[in-house]
Amino acid sequence: MIEELLKATIETLYMTFFSTLIAFMAGLPLGILLYLLSKKKDHASKIIYTFFDFIINIFRSIPFIILIILLIPLTKLIAGTIIGANSAIVSLSIAAIPFMARLCENSFNSLSHEMLDTASSMGMTTWQLITKVLIPESLPEIISNTTILIINLITYTAIAGAVGAGGLGAMAINYGYQRFRADILLYTVSILVIITQLVQFAGTLLSKRLRR
Amino acid sequence: MLRLEDVNLFYQKNNHVLKNISFETQKEEILGIIGLSGAGKSSLLKTFNLLQRPSSGKIFLDNILITDLKKKELRQVRKQISVVFQNYNLLNSRTVFENVALALELEHQKFIEPTVLNVLEKVGLSHRKDAYISQLSGGEKQRTAIARAVVTNPKILLLDEPTSALDPKTTEKILDLVLYVNKELGITTIVVTHEMEVIKRICDRVLYLKDGTIKFLGQTHRLFIEKDSQILEDFYEEINIDKELINQKLEKKESHLLRIVFWGSSTHCPVISTLSLKYSVTSNILYGKIEHLKNNPYGTLILEISENPNYSDFLNELKKNVYFCEELTGGGK
Ligand SMILES: Nc1ncnc2c1ncn2[C@@H]1O[C@H](COP(=O)(O)OP(=O)(O)OP(=O)(O)O)[C@@H](O)[C@H]1O
Ligand SMILES: [Mg+2]
Repeated sequence: MIEELLKATIETLYMTFFSTLIAFMAGLPLGILLYLLSKKKDHASKIIYTFFDFIINIFRSIPFIILIILLIPLTKLIAGTIIGANSAIVSLSIAAIPFMARLCENSFNSLSHEMLDTASSMGMTTWQLITKVLIPESLPEIISNTTILIINLITYTAIAGAVGAGGLGAMAINYGYQRFRADILLYTVSILVIITQLVQFAGTLLSKRLRR
Repeated sequence: MLRLEDVNLFYQKNNHVLKNISFETQKEEILGIIGLSGAGKSSLLKTFNLLQRPSSGKIFLDNILITDLKKKELRQVRKQISVVFQNYNLLNSRTVFENVALALELEHQKFIEPTVLNVLEKVGLSHRKDAYISQLSGGEKQRTAIARAVVTNPKILLLDEPTSALDPKTTEKILDLVLYVNKELGITTIVVTHEMEVIKRICDRVLYLKDGTIKFLGQTHRLFIEKDSQILEDFYEEINIDKELINQKLEKKESHLLRIVFWGSSTHCPVISTLSLKYSVTSNILYGKIEHLKNNPYGTLILEISENPNYSDFLNELKKNVYFCEELTGGGK
Protein backbone atom coordinates (compact mmCIF):
# COMPACT_ATOMS: atom_id res chain seq x y z
CA MET A 1 0.00 0.00 0.00
CA ILE A 2 2.70 2.46 1.00
CA GLU A 3 4.57 1.49 -2.10
CA GLU A 4 1.55 2.28 -4.21
CA LEU A 5 1.08 5.64 -2.50
CA LEU A 6 4.72 6.46 -3.09
CA LYS A 7 4.44 5.50 -6.74
CA ALA A 8 1.34 7.64 -7.16
CA THR A 9 3.04 10.58 -5.46
CA ILE A 10 6.01 10.29 -7.75
CA GLU A 11 3.72 10.11 -10.77
CA THR A 12 1.90 13.24 -9.67
CA LEU A 13 5.18 15.07 -9.09
CA TYR A 14 6.47 13.84 -12.43
CA MET A 15 3.43 15.08 -14.33
CA THR A 16 3.37 18.38 -12.47
CA PHE A 17 7.07 18.98 -12.94
CA PHE A 18 7.23 18.33 -16.65
CA SER A 19 4.01 20.10 -17.53
CA THR A 20 5.15 23.11 -15.48
CA LEU A 21 8.48 23.05 -17.24
CA ILE A 22 6.89 22.92 -20.69
CA ALA A 23 4.28 25.53 -19.78
CA PHE A 24 7.00 27.82 -18.46
CA MET A 25 9.32 27.36 -21.43
CA ALA A 26 6.53 28.02 -23.91
CA GLY A 27 4.34 30.35 -21.88
CA LEU A 28 7.02 32.85 -20.92
CA PRO A 29 8.13 33.57 -24.50
CA LEU A 30 4.51 33.69 -25.57
CA GLY A 31 3.77 36.13 -22.76
CA ILE A 32 6.72 38.29 -23.83
CA LEU A 33 5.51 38.20 -27.42
CA LEU A 34 2.00 39.17 -26.38
CA TYR A 35 3.31 42.04 -24.29
CA LEU A 36 5.58 43.38 -27.01
CA LEU A 37 2.86 43.06 -29.63
CA SER A 38 0.37 44.87 -27.45
CA LYS A 39 2.75 47.83 -27.14
CA LYS A 40 3.39 48.20 -30.86
CA LYS A 41 1.37 50.74 -32.73
CA ASP A 42 1.40 49.31 -36.25
CA HIS A 43 -1.56 47.59 -37.77
CA ALA A 44 0.03 44.18 -38.36
CA SER A 45 1.03 43.83 -34.68
CA LYS A 46 -2.47 44.71 -33.60
CA ILE A 47 -3.96 42.01 -35.80
CA ILE A 48 -1.48 39.37 -34.66
CA TYR A 49 -2.10 40.31 -31.06
CA THR A 50 -5.86 40.05 -31.45
CA PHE A 51 -5.40 36.63 -33.05
CA PHE A 52 -3.26 35.28 -30.18
CA ASP A 53 -5.52 36.88 -27.65
CA PHE A 54 -8.53 35.14 -29.17
CA ILE A 55 -6.84 31.71 -29.27
CA ILE A 56 -5.69 32.01 -25.67
CA ASN A 57 -9.14 32.98 -24.51
CA ILE A 58 -10.62 29.97 -26.27
CA PHE A 59 -8.17 27.56 -24.64
CA ARG A 60 -8.76 29.10 -21.27
CA SER A 61 -12.49 28.80 -21.50
CA ILE A 62 -12.58 25.07 -22.29
CA PRO A 63 -13.00 22.97 -19.13
CA PHE A 64 -9.95 20.77 -18.62
CA ILE A 65 -11.76 17.46 -18.75
CA ILE A 66 -13.20 18.40 -22.15
CA LEU A 67 -9.83 19.64 -23.35
CA ILE A 68 -8.37 16.20 -22.56
CA ILE A 69 -10.99 14.60 -24.75
CA LEU A 70 -10.52 17.10 -27.57
CA LEU A 71 -6.79 16.54 -27.44
CA ILE A 72 -6.95 12.74 -27.73
CA PRO A 73 -5.78 12.68 -31.37
CA LEU A 74 -2.86 14.97 -30.61
CA THR A 75 -1.96 13.04 -27.46
CA LYS A 76 -1.91 9.83 -29.46
CA LEU A 77 0.32 11.44 -32.01
CA ILE A 78 2.82 12.77 -29.48
CA ALA A 79 2.81 10.14 -26.69
CA GLY A 80 1.72 7.16 -28.72
CA THR A 81 -1.00 6.31 -26.21
CA ILE A 82 -3.74 8.12 -24.35
CA ILE A 83 -3.20 6.61 -20.92
CA GLY A 84 -0.33 7.05 -18.50
CA ALA A 85 1.59 10.00 -17.13
CA ASN A 86 3.31 10.97 -20.37
CA SER A 87 0.02 11.32 -22.19
CA ALA A 88 -1.33 13.41 -19.38
CA ILE A 89 1.63 15.76 -19.70
CA VAL A 90 0.54 16.60 -23.24
CA SER A 91 -2.89 17.85 -22.26
CA LEU A 92 -1.65 19.37 -19.00
CA SER A 93 0.95 21.41 -20.88
CA ILE A 94 -1.46 22.54 -23.54
CA ALA A 95 -3.90 23.70 -20.91
CA ALA A 96 -1.14 25.44 -18.97
CA ILE A 97 0.70 27.28 -21.76
CA PRO A 98 -2.02 29.86 -22.48
CA PHE A 99 -2.57 30.29 -18.76
CA MET A 100 1.13 30.94 -18.18
CA ALA A 101 1.32 33.27 -21.18
CA ARG A 102 -1.52 35.37 -19.83
CA LEU A 103 -0.02 35.46 -16.33
CA CYS A 104 3.31 36.62 -17.74
CA GLU A 105 1.70 39.24 -19.93
CA ASN A 106 -0.05 40.60 -16.86
CA SER A 107 3.19 40.69 -14.89
CA PHE A 108 4.86 42.72 -17.63
CA ASN A 109 1.90 45.03 -17.84
CA SER A 110 2.22 45.82 -14.17
CA LEU A 111 5.62 47.40 -14.86
CA SER A 112 5.68 51.17 -15.39
CA HIS A 113 4.50 52.14 -18.88
CA GLU A 114 7.57 54.26 -19.28
CA MET A 115 9.93 51.29 -18.94
CA LEU A 116 9.66 50.69 -22.68
CA ASP A 117 10.45 54.33 -23.43
CA THR A 118 13.41 54.15 -21.09
CA ALA A 119 14.72 51.04 -22.77
CA SER A 120 14.39 52.48 -26.26
CA SER A 121 15.90 55.77 -25.22
CA MET A 122 18.94 53.86 -23.97
CA GLY A 123 19.21 52.23 -27.38
CA MET A 124 18.43 48.72 -26.15
CA THR A 125 17.79 45.95 -28.61
CA THR A 126 14.63 43.90 -28.11
CA TRP A 127 16.73 41.10 -26.67
CA GLN A 128 18.36 43.46 -24.17
CA LEU A 129 14.93 44.81 -23.27
CA ILE A 130 13.74 41.29 -22.49
CA THR A 131 16.80 40.08 -20.62
CA LYS A 132 17.78 43.25 -18.79
CA VAL A 133 14.45 44.86 -18.10
CA LEU A 134 11.32 42.78 -18.60
CA ILE A 135 12.38 39.52 -16.96
CA PRO A 136 14.51 40.81 -14.08
CA GLU A 137 12.02 43.54 -13.23
CA SER A 138 9.04 41.21 -13.16
CA LEU A 139 10.81 38.17 -11.75
CA PRO A 140 9.13 38.24 -8.31
CA GLU A 141 5.80 38.53 -10.08
CA ILE A 142 6.69 35.70 -12.49
CA ILE A 143 7.68 33.47 -9.58
CA SER A 144 4.40 33.99 -7.78
CA ASN A 145 2.55 33.37 -11.01
CA THR A 146 4.48 30.16 -11.57
CA THR A 147 3.45 29.11 -8.08
CA ILE A 148 -0.18 29.63 -9.04
CA LEU A 149 0.46 27.64 -12.20
CA ILE A 150 2.01 24.70 -10.32
CA ILE A 151 -0.84 24.53 -7.86
CA ASN A 152 -3.34 24.62 -10.68
CA LEU A 153 -1.47 21.83 -12.41
CA ILE A 154 -1.49 19.67 -9.28
CA THR A 155 -5.28 19.82 -9.19
CA TYR A 156 -5.38 19.21 -12.93
CA THR A 157 -3.31 16.02 -12.52
CA ALA A 158 -6.10 14.72 -10.30
CA ILE A 159 -8.63 15.41 -13.04
CA ALA A 160 -6.33 13.74 -15.55
CA GLY A 161 -6.15 10.83 -13.10
CA ALA A 162 -9.83 10.24 -13.66
CA VAL A 163 -9.17 9.41 -17.27
CA GLY A 164 -6.19 7.13 -16.87
CA ALA A 165 -3.25 9.35 -16.11
CA GLY A 166 -2.23 7.68 -12.86
CA GLY A 167 -0.94 9.60 -9.87
CA LEU A 168 -2.55 10.54 -6.58
CA GLY A 169 -5.77 11.64 -8.23
CA ALA A 170 -6.24 8.30 -9.92
CA MET A 171 -5.53 6.49 -6.69
CA ALA A 172 -8.03 8.59 -4.78
CA ILE A 173 -10.68 7.82 -7.34
CA ASN A 174 -9.86 4.12 -7.66
CA TYR A 175 -9.73 3.32 -3.97
CA GLY A 176 -11.68 6.08 -2.35
CA TYR A 177 -14.52 6.43 -4.77
CA GLN A 178 -14.85 3.02 -6.33
CA ARG A 179 -13.83 0.78 -3.39
CA PHE A 180 -14.97 2.97 -0.51
CA ARG A 181 -11.52 3.02 1.09
CA ALA A 182 -11.83 6.23 3.07
CA ASP A 183 -8.38 5.79 4.62
CA ILE A 184 -6.65 5.81 1.24
CA LEU A 185 -8.74 8.75 0.10
CA LEU A 186 -7.56 10.57 3.21
CA TYR A 187 -3.89 9.69 2.58
CA THR A 188 -3.92 10.82 -1.03
CA VAL A 189 -5.72 14.03 -0.28
CA SER A 190 -3.32 14.73 2.60
CA ILE A 191 -0.34 14.25 0.34
CA LEU A 192 -1.86 16.58 -2.27
CA VAL A 193 -2.48 19.19 0.41
CA ILE A 194 1.07 18.88 1.70
CA ILE A 195 2.57 19.23 -1.77
CA THR A 196 0.42 22.28 -2.48
CA GLN A 197 1.38 23.90 0.82
CA LEU A 198 5.06 23.27 0.21
CA VAL A 199 4.92 24.74 -3.28
CA GLN A 200 3.07 27.80 -2.05
CA PHE A 201 5.48 28.27 0.81
CA ALA A 202 8.54 27.98 -1.40
CA GLY A 203 7.04 30.25 -4.04
CA THR A 204 6.11 32.97 -1.60
CA LEU A 205 9.49 32.83 0.06
CA LEU A 206 11.40 33.04 -3.21
CA SER A 207 9.24 35.82 -4.57
CA LYS A 208 9.64 37.82 -1.36
CA ARG A 209 13.38 37.37 -1.45
CA LEU A 210 13.52 38.75 -4.97
CA ARG A 211 11.24 41.70 -4.34
CA ARG A 212 13.31 44.76 -3.77
CA MET B 1 24.00 69.86 -31.89
CA LEU B 2 20.34 69.06 -32.09
CA ARG B 3 18.33 70.78 -34.81
CA LEU B 4 14.63 70.64 -35.55
CA GLU B 5 13.22 71.82 -38.84
CA ASP B 6 9.53 72.51 -39.15
CA VAL B 7 8.46 69.67 -36.88
CA ASN B 8 4.75 68.96 -36.60
CA LEU B 9 3.05 66.36 -34.48
CA PHE B 10 -0.52 65.17 -34.63
CA TYR B 11 -1.72 62.61 -32.11
CA GLN B 12 -5.01 62.13 -33.84
CA LYS B 13 -6.12 63.83 -37.00
CA ASN B 14 -7.37 66.92 -35.23
CA ASN B 15 -5.01 66.95 -32.27
CA HIS B 16 -2.21 69.18 -33.51
CA VAL B 17 0.21 69.08 -30.58
CA LEU B 18 3.41 70.54 -32.09
CA LYS B 19 3.19 73.23 -34.74
CA ASN B 20 6.06 74.13 -37.05
CA ILE B 21 8.77 73.80 -34.44
CA SER B 22 12.23 74.85 -35.62
CA PHE B 23 15.24 75.52 -33.46
CA GLU B 24 18.80 74.49 -32.84
CA THR B 25 20.68 73.93 -29.61
CA GLN B 26 23.90 75.77 -28.98
CA LYS B 27 27.05 74.02 -27.92
CA GLU B 28 27.14 73.08 -24.25
CA GLU B 29 24.24 75.34 -23.30
CA ILE B 30 21.41 74.63 -20.91
CA LEU B 31 18.18 75.24 -22.79
CA GLY B 32 14.98 75.42 -20.81
CA ILE B 33 11.66 74.47 -22.36
CA ILE B 34 8.87 76.06 -20.40
CA GLY B 35 5.13 76.07 -20.89
CA LEU B 36 1.83 75.38 -19.20
CA SER B 37 0.52 71.89 -18.72
CA GLY B 38 -0.58 70.44 -22.03
CA ALA B 39 1.53 72.84 -24.10
CA GLY B 40 3.34 69.87 -25.63
CA LYS B 41 6.63 69.99 -23.72
CA SER B 42 6.91 66.27 -23.08
CA SER B 43 5.80 65.50 -26.61
CA LEU B 44 8.48 67.81 -27.94
CA LEU B 45 11.12 66.21 -25.73
CA LYS B 46 10.13 62.78 -26.99
CA THR B 47 10.63 63.78 -30.61
CA PHE B 48 14.29 64.61 -29.99
CA ASN B 49 15.29 60.95 -29.95
CA LEU B 50 12.24 59.81 -31.89
CA LEU B 51 10.55 58.10 -28.96
CA GLN B 52 7.74 59.98 -30.60
CA ARG B 53 8.08 60.26 -34.34
CA PRO B 54 6.94 63.66 -35.63
CA SER B 55 4.18 63.64 -38.24
CA SER B 56 6.33 65.85 -40.44
CA GLY B 57 9.61 67.76 -40.29
CA LYS B 58 13.26 66.92 -39.89
CA ILE B 59 15.44 66.31 -36.85
CA PHE B 60 19.20 66.44 -37.03
CA LEU B 61 21.88 65.44 -34.55
CA ASP B 62 25.23 66.87 -35.59
CA ASN B 63 23.93 67.24 -39.12
CA ILE B 64 22.78 63.63 -39.34
CA LEU B 65 19.15 63.47 -40.35
CA ILE B 66 17.95 61.05 -37.69
CA THR B 67 14.35 60.95 -38.91
CA ASP B 68 15.64 58.96 -41.87
CA LEU B 69 17.79 56.43 -40.02
CA LYS B 70 17.26 52.69 -39.92
CA LYS B 71 16.50 50.97 -36.62
CA LYS B 72 20.06 49.94 -35.90
CA GLU B 73 21.58 53.33 -36.67
CA LEU B 74 18.85 55.00 -34.67
CA ARG B 75 19.82 52.90 -31.65
CA GLN B 76 23.37 54.24 -31.91
CA VAL B 77 22.08 57.79 -32.13
CA ARG B 78 19.82 57.30 -29.13
CA LYS B 79 22.82 56.34 -27.04
CA GLN B 80 24.14 59.85 -27.62
CA ILE B 81 20.94 61.43 -26.32
CA SER B 82 20.32 60.55 -22.68
CA VAL B 83 16.95 61.08 -21.09
CA VAL B 84 16.11 61.56 -17.44
CA PHE B 85 12.41 60.84 -17.18
CA GLN B 86 10.06 62.56 -14.83
CA ASN B 87 9.48 59.33 -12.88
CA TYR B 88 13.16 58.37 -13.05
CA ASN B 89 12.30 54.90 -14.41
CA LEU B 90 15.08 53.15 -12.59
CA LEU B 91 15.20 49.38 -12.38
CA ASN B 92 14.03 48.09 -9.01
CA SER B 93 15.83 44.81 -9.52
CA ARG B 94 19.19 46.55 -9.57
CA THR B 95 21.25 48.50 -7.08
CA VAL B 96 22.28 52.10 -7.68
CA PHE B 97 25.61 50.90 -9.03
CA GLU B 98 23.99 48.33 -11.30
CA ASN B 99 21.47 50.83 -12.61
CA VAL B 100 24.22 53.19 -13.64
CA ALA B 101 26.26 50.31 -15.08
CA LEU B 102 23.33 49.22 -17.25
CA ALA B 103 23.97 51.72 -20.01
CA LEU B 104 27.58 50.56 -20.26
CA GLU B 105 26.62 46.87 -20.21
CA LEU B 106 24.59 47.41 -23.34
CA GLU B 107 27.78 48.30 -25.14
CA HIS B 108 29.67 45.32 -23.68
CA GLN B 109 32.17 47.80 -22.39
CA LYS B 110 35.12 46.77 -20.32
CA PHE B 111 36.24 48.64 -17.23
CA ILE B 112 32.68 49.40 -16.27
CA GLU B 113 33.44 49.59 -12.58
CA PRO B 114 35.85 52.54 -12.44
CA THR B 115 33.69 54.55 -14.83
CA VAL B 116 30.56 53.97 -12.78
CA LEU B 117 32.31 54.69 -9.48
CA ASN B 118 33.67 57.89 -10.92
CA VAL B 119 30.24 59.10 -12.00
CA LEU B 120 28.66 58.10 -8.69
CA GLU B 121 31.31 60.15 -6.96
CA LYS B 122 30.46 63.15 -9.14
CA VAL B 123 26.76 63.00 -8.37
CA GLY B 124 27.49 62.42 -4.69
CA LEU B 125 26.13 58.90 -4.38
CA SER B 126 29.24 56.85 -3.64
CA HIS B 127 27.95 55.91 -0.21
CA ARG B 128 24.65 54.63 -1.62
CA LYS B 129 26.00 52.55 -4.44
CA ASP B 130 24.78 49.22 -3.08
CA ALA B 131 21.32 50.41 -2.13
CA TYR B 132 18.27 49.26 -4.03
CA ILE B 133 16.04 51.85 -5.66
CA SER B 134 13.16 51.35 -3.22
CA GLN B 135 15.50 52.38 -0.42
CA LEU B 136 16.31 55.77 -1.97
CA SER B 137 14.82 59.21 -1.37
CA GLY B 138 13.44 61.21 -4.29
CA GLY B 139 16.59 63.28 -4.55
CA GLU B 140 18.80 60.19 -4.52
CA LYS B 141 16.67 58.60 -7.23
CA GLN B 142 17.09 61.73 -9.32
CA ARG B 143 20.85 61.62 -8.78
CA THR B 144 20.94 57.98 -9.82
CA ALA B 145 18.91 58.79 -12.93
CA ILE B 146 21.28 61.62 -13.79
CA ALA B 147 24.29 59.39 -13.21
CA ARG B 148 22.83 56.73 -15.48
CA ALA B 149 22.19 59.36 -18.12
CA VAL B 150 25.66 60.86 -18.16
CA VAL B 151 27.77 57.74 -17.64
CA THR B 152 27.83 57.10 -21.38
CA ASN B 153 29.13 60.58 -22.08
CA PRO B 154 26.24 61.58 -24.33
CA LYS B 155 26.13 64.61 -26.58
CA ILE B 156 22.72 65.71 -25.35
CA LEU B 157 21.09 65.37 -21.94
CA LEU B 158 17.31 65.68 -21.75
CA LEU B 159 15.61 66.23 -18.41
CA ASP B 160 11.82 66.10 -18.12
CA GLU B 161 10.58 68.06 -15.10
CA PRO B 162 13.65 67.12 -13.05
CA THR B 163 12.51 68.85 -9.88
CA SER B 164 8.73 68.84 -9.94
CA ALA B 165 8.55 66.03 -7.38
CA LEU B 166 11.20 67.41 -5.04
CA ASP B 167 11.12 69.77 -2.09
CA PRO B 168 12.76 73.23 -2.49
CA LYS B 169 16.03 72.25 -0.77
CA THR B 170 16.47 69.11 -2.80
CA THR B 171 15.45 71.01 -5.92
CA GLU B 172 18.26 73.42 -5.33
CA LYS B 173 20.79 70.62 -4.92
CA ILE B 174 19.61 68.82 -8.04
CA LEU B 175 19.76 72.02 -10.07
CA ASP B 176 23.30 72.58 -8.83
CA LEU B 177 24.10 69.06 -9.96
CA VAL B 178 22.66 69.74 -13.41
CA LEU B 179 24.78 72.89 -13.64
CA TYR B 180 27.84 70.98 -12.50
CA VAL B 181 27.32 68.11 -14.92
CA ASN B 182 26.70 70.53 -17.77
CA LYS B 183 29.87 72.44 -17.03
CA GLU B 184 32.12 69.57 -16.01
CA LEU B 185 31.19 67.19 -18.81
CA GLY B 186 30.24 69.80 -21.38
CA ILE B 187 26.98 68.11 -22.25
CA THR B 188 24.38 70.20 -24.05
CA THR B 189 21.40 70.03 -21.72
CA ILE B 190 17.71 70.52 -22.35
CA VAL B 191 15.41 70.90 -19.35
CA VAL B 192 11.65 70.71 -19.61
CA THR B 193 9.92 72.50 -16.77
CA HIS B 194 6.91 74.48 -15.74
CA GLU B 195 8.79 76.21 -12.93
CA MET B 196 10.23 79.65 -13.66
CA GLU B 197 12.69 79.10 -10.81
CA VAL B 198 14.38 76.34 -12.80
CA ILE B 199 14.73 78.64 -15.78
CA LYS B 200 16.14 81.44 -13.65
CA ARG B 201 18.65 79.27 -11.87
CA ILE B 202 20.20 77.20 -14.59
CA CYS B 203 19.10 78.03 -18.12
CA ASP B 204 21.18 80.00 -20.61
CA ARG B 205 18.36 80.11 -23.09
CA VAL B 206 14.63 79.57 -22.93
CA LEU B 207 12.10 78.18 -25.34
CA TYR B 208 8.60 79.17 -24.36
CA LEU B 209 6.03 76.78 -25.74
CA LYS B 210 2.37 77.68 -25.88
CA ASP B 211 -0.29 75.53 -27.51
CA GLY B 212 2.38 73.73 -29.49
CA THR B 213 4.04 76.82 -30.94
CA ILE B 214 7.26 78.54 -29.97
CA LYS B 215 6.26 81.90 -28.48
CA PHE B 216 9.75 82.84 -27.47
CA LEU B 217 13.23 81.52 -28.01
CA GLY B 218 16.26 83.38 -26.76
CA GLN B 219 18.50 84.16 -23.86
CA THR B 220 16.92 83.89 -20.45
CA HIS B 221 17.15 87.58 -19.55
CA ARG B 222 15.48 88.48 -22.85
CA LEU B 223 12.51 86.38 -21.78
CA PHE B 224 12.14 88.51 -18.71
CA ILE B 225 12.23 91.69 -20.69
CA GLU B 226 9.53 90.28 -22.96
CA LYS B 227 7.66 89.00 -19.98
CA ASP B 228 7.39 92.40 -18.41
CA SER B 229 6.09 93.83 -21.62
CA GLN B 230 3.20 91.45 -21.19
CA ILE B 231 3.88 88.83 -23.79
CA LEU B 232 4.10 86.12 -21.21
CA GLU B 233 1.77 87.56 -18.66
CA ASP B 234 -0.55 84.58 -18.79
CA PHE B 235 2.29 82.47 -17.54
CA TYR B 236 4.14 84.50 -15.03
CA GLU B 237 2.44 86.95 -12.77
CA GLU B 238 4.62 89.66 -11.24
CA ILE B 239 2.92 90.00 -7.90
CA ASN B 240 4.99 92.81 -6.47
CA ILE B 241 4.09 95.39 -9.04
CA ASP B 242 1.29 97.63 -7.89
CA LYS B 243 -0.52 97.73 -11.20
CA GLU B 244 -3.31 99.91 -9.95
CA LEU B 245 -0.93 102.65 -8.91
CA ILE B 246 0.87 102.50 -12.22
CA ASN B 247 -2.38 102.61 -14.14
CA GLN B 248 -3.56 105.64 -12.23
CA LYS B 249 -0.33 107.46 -12.96
CA LEU B 250 -0.54 106.55 -16.60
CA GLU B 251 -4.06 107.84 -16.86
CA LYS B 252 -3.22 111.17 -15.25
CA LYS B 253 -0.39 111.73 -17.76
CA GLU B 254 1.29 114.17 -15.41
CA SER B 255 4.57 112.29 -15.43
CA HIS B 256 6.56 109.80 -17.46
CA LEU B 257 6.88 106.19 -16.43
CA LEU B 258 9.98 104.25 -17.40
CA ARG B 259 10.72 100.57 -17.10
CA ILE B 260 14.43 99.99 -16.88
CA VAL B 261 16.27 96.69 -16.92
CA PHE B 262 19.78 96.30 -15.62
CA TRP B 263 21.70 93.29 -16.76
CA GLY B 264 25.30 92.28 -16.17
CA SER B 265 27.72 95.16 -15.61
CA SER B 266 25.12 97.96 -15.66
CA THR B 267 23.71 96.71 -12.36
CA HIS B 268 26.72 98.00 -10.53
CA CYS B 269 26.90 101.67 -11.41
CA PRO B 270 24.59 104.38 -10.10
CA VAL B 271 23.31 105.45 -13.52
CA ILE B 272 19.99 106.83 -12.40
CA SER B 273 21.25 109.15 -9.72
CA THR B 274 24.12 110.39 -11.85
CA LEU B 275 21.83 111.24 -14.75
CA SER B 276 19.13 112.67 -12.52
CA LEU B 277 21.68 115.09 -11.15
CA LYS B 278 23.09 115.90 -14.53
CA TYR B 279 19.72 116.75 -16.07
CA SER B 280 18.17 117.84 -12.80
CA VAL B 281 15.14 115.62 -13.19
CA THR B 282 13.36 114.19 -10.17
CA SER B 283 12.69 110.52 -10.18
CA ASN B 284 10.49 108.44 -7.96
CA ILE B 285 10.92 104.69 -7.68
CA LEU B 286 7.61 102.88 -8.03
CA TYR B 287 9.03 99.40 -8.18
CA GLY B 288 12.44 97.84 -7.95
CA LYS B 289 13.77 94.35 -7.81
CA ILE B 290 17.04 92.53 -8.30
CA GLU B 291 17.12 88.82 -8.94
CA HIS B 292 19.66 86.41 -10.29
CA LEU B 293 19.58 84.63 -13.60
CA LYS B 294 22.16 81.84 -13.51
CA ASN B 295 24.13 83.93 -10.99
CA ASN B 296 24.03 87.09 -13.10
CA PRO B 297 22.20 89.95 -11.47
CA TYR B 298 19.08 91.13 -13.28
CA GLY B 299 17.37 94.25 -12.04
CA THR B 300 14.05 95.87 -12.88
CA LEU B 301 13.06 99.41 -11.98
CA ILE B 302 9.91 101.33 -12.65
CA LEU B 303 10.56 105.07 -12.34
CA GLU B 304 8.29 108.01 -12.33
CA ILE B 305 9.89 111.10 -13.84
CA SER B 306 8.14 114.41 -13.40
CA GLU B 307 7.64 116.66 -16.43
CA ASN B 308 10.89 118.46 -17.17
CA PRO B 309 12.36 120.30 -20.18
CA ASN B 310 15.45 118.05 -20.07
CA TYR B 311 13.42 114.88 -20.07
CA SER B 312 14.13 113.75 -23.64
CA ASP B 313 17.90 114.33 -23.27
CA PHE B 314 17.79 112.44 -20.00
CA LEU B 315 15.94 109.56 -21.65
CA ASN B 316 18.39 109.40 -24.55
CA GLU B 317 21.41 109.18 -22.35
CA LEU B 318 19.68 106.74 -20.01
CA LYS B 319 18.90 104.42 -22.89
CA LYS B 320 22.59 104.35 -23.79
CA ASN B 321 23.60 103.44 -20.28
CA VAL B 322 21.18 100.76 -19.23
CA TYR B 323 20.50 97.39 -20.77
CA PHE B 324 16.89 98.11 -21.63
CA CYS B 325 14.61 101.03 -21.17
CA GLU B 326 11.08 101.66 -22.32
CA GLU B 327 8.44 104.27 -21.73
CA LEU B 328 5.27 102.85 -20.33
CA THR B 329 2.17 104.10 -22.04
CA GLY B 330 -1.45 103.90 -21.02
CA GLY B 331 -3.80 101.16 -22.00
CA GLY B 332 -1.35 98.36 -21.44
CA LYS B 333 -0.44 97.67 -17.88
N1 LIG C 1 0.20 59.56 -26.45
C1 LIG C 1 -0.70 60.54 -26.62
N2 LIG C 1 -1.81 60.33 -27.36
C2 LIG C 1 -2.69 61.31 -27.57
N3 LIG C 1 -2.59 62.55 -27.08
C3 LIG C 1 -1.52 62.83 -26.31
C4 LIG C 1 -0.52 61.84 -26.06
N4 LIG C 1 0.44 62.40 -25.27
C5 LIG C 1 0.04 63.67 -25.06
N5 LIG C 1 -1.12 63.95 -25.68
C6 LIG C 1 -1.80 65.25 -25.71
O1 LIG C 1 -0.91 66.19 -26.25
C7 LIG C 1 -0.97 67.42 -25.57
C8 LIG C 1 0.40 67.80 -25.07
O2 LIG C 1 0.81 66.87 -24.07
P1 LIG C 1 2.23 66.88 -23.39
O3 LIG C 1 2.29 65.76 -22.46
O4 LIG C 1 3.27 66.99 -24.42
O5 LIG C 1 2.14 68.26 -22.60
P2 LIG C 1 3.13 68.85 -21.51
O6 LIG C 1 3.45 70.22 -21.94
O7 LIG C 1 4.25 67.92 -21.29
O8 LIG C 1 2.20 68.91 -20.25
P3 LIG C 1 2.60 68.63 -18.70
O9 LIG C 1 3.22 69.89 -18.20
O10 LIG C 1 1.26 68.41 -18.07
O11 LIG C 1 3.48 67.44 -18.65
C9 LIG C 1 -2.00 67.23 -24.46
O12 LIG C 1 -3.19 67.82 -24.89
C10 LIG C 1 -2.14 65.75 -24.32
O13 LIG C 1 -3.44 65.42 -23.97
MG1 LIG D 1 4.97 66.70 -19.56
